[in-house]
Amino acid sequence: MLESFGSFLSNTGVAALFQTGAGDAIKTIIMLAVACVLLYLAIVKKYEPLLLLPIAFGMLLTNLPMISESNAIMMHTEWFTDSKYMINEHGHMNIDVGMIVRNGGLLDLLYLGVKLGIYPPLIFVGIGCMTDFGPLIANPKSILLGAAAQFGVFFTFIGALVLSASIPALGWGVKEAASIGIIGGADGPTAIYVTKSLAPALLPAIAVAAYSYMALIPIIQPPFMKLLTTKKARGVVMEQLRPVSKTEKIIFPIVVTLVVAFIIPDAVSLVGCLMLGNLLKESGVCDRLAKTAQNELMNIVTIFLGTTVGATATASSFLTPSTLGIVCLGLVAFIFSTCGGLILGDIMYVLTKGKVNPLIGSAGVSAVPMAARVSQTVGQKENPSNFLLMHAMGPNVAGVIGSAVAAGVFLSMFNGL
Amino acid sequence: MNLDPNSSLVTGKGISLGEAFGMGGETVVIGLSIVFGVLLILMIVLYLFGVIFNKKPKTATTPAQETVPEPEVQAEVVEEDEEELIAVLTAAIAASLNTSTYNLQIKSYRRVPTKRPAWNNAGLRETIGNRF
Repeated sequence: MLESFGSFLSNTGVAALFQTGAGDAIKTIIMLAVACVLLYLAIVKKYEPLLLLPIAFGMLLTNLPMISESNAIMMHTEWFTDSKYMINEHGHMNIDVGMIVRNGGLLDLLYLGVKLGIYPPLIFVGIGCMTDFGPLIANPKSILLGAAAQFGVFFTFIGALVLSASIPALGWGVKEAASIGIIGGADGPTAIYVTKSLAPALLPAIAVAAYSYMALIPIIQPPFMKLLTTKKARGVVMEQLRPVSKTEKIIFPIVVTLVVAFIIPDAVSLVGCLMLGNLLKESGVCDRLAKTAQNELMNIVTIFLGTTVGATATASSFLTPSTLGIVCLGLVAFIFSTCGGLILGDIMYVLTKGKVNPLIGSAGVSAVPMAARVSQTVGQKENPSNFLLMHAMGPNVAGVIGSAVAAGVFLSMFNGL
Repeated sequence: MNLDPNSSLVTGKGISLGEAFGMGGETVVIGLSIVFGVLLILMIVLYLFGVIFNKKPKTATTPAQETVPEPEVQAEVVEEDEEELIAVLTAAIAASLNTSTYNLQIKSYRRVPTKRPAWNNAGLRETIGNRF
């Protein structure tokens, strides 16, 4: 009886905490504390709670102390990142799906959906269902603002490479730099989609940075919006958008898919799914499917995606100088994307002789609809009777397409290296 | 672009500043031109949309403009019936103050001139606040 009690004690979490020494125990405790801080931000501060809460709880689950080789381990991050556990297929190291399915814990199995690139496109189907491209169709030039706001993505790519050259300990190559840069697209699923392919080890830090800064957009953007626009330009009331017919709204997603596929096939899994969702809604004949895609499907996938992305945040992958660098560069990426959109907005203001309010430029970062709301709020401070929201939704939804194309560019350049 | 998988730019070990700026600059030019290229094509397509599909709606908007004077006429009718207007105002104030109409007495009222009615503004703001 004493013996079995002893073996029970040696299997407790407390025993597991100290099995590899006090150093690892402290790291585990730090990670649990980080998870709790993120939970606090999600629940009390309401920073993107729908994603941050699952991410934080996944982080908590994966860092619970476990006896090594225990069957209770829910997530084995090393199976997805360490080439020791992978199989060699035609010279490329790939994850051993068979081994993971046979031996994996719950989170291992669910993480396959991230690793194999299933969840982000499914989320895009839901986003497509919720997106109205009407304001964009009515004001085609606003699509360019969505392109200009990808400036931060590419600028941060240089920034990450330069930082890696100055601080060799970071060890970032082009793949890591691309994954960090894509934070500037302000689009969570896109950032996760690129990172899981190019730099899986950085996934937790990049996901946390992307979603946290998206929640902070109302704080990050306004100072730069005031800095880069004149008082007069901020007060511009834009003329009402023309009505958009149902035919246009139905043809739009089909045309976008074709155009993107012909130019940059790597972006199709994201853009194609976005447009599938949009067509489900706009066609008007698939109401039931559209409702499922934007509610149940999206919510289920969000739980799987958030929890498993959080679960990749082990002490060894998260408590590194890289994470600190990613947090800093993520902010740089957001700021430069905002500025890119605003500068093109200013140019449009001049070219159209004051018909375009440059504030809608900052909405080109694809965080829908927060960025458009910020444009609305800042514009209304200058001119209380001004309603910029619908005008800002144009660049906003264009930003989603823009960042998915930017992701496709990175994938086509660096995937497979 | 053909990068050697074992080059320093891919492994991230020992990148020189020159390499970083060279690779970065090249990617910025290629990346931004592809992004702008794709969206520029979409913009042209959307302008064509406007040309092809937007002919009919223009004629459709004219009847909408004709209906505009009607509400104004209605508003004048309401103003003439002062008792009814005061009753409505009292009820509205009572509802917003959460009190009974017996505790209120309207002594005077004045129409506030705005481009957009205040209720429309309030409603619009509330809808925006709720939905986004």
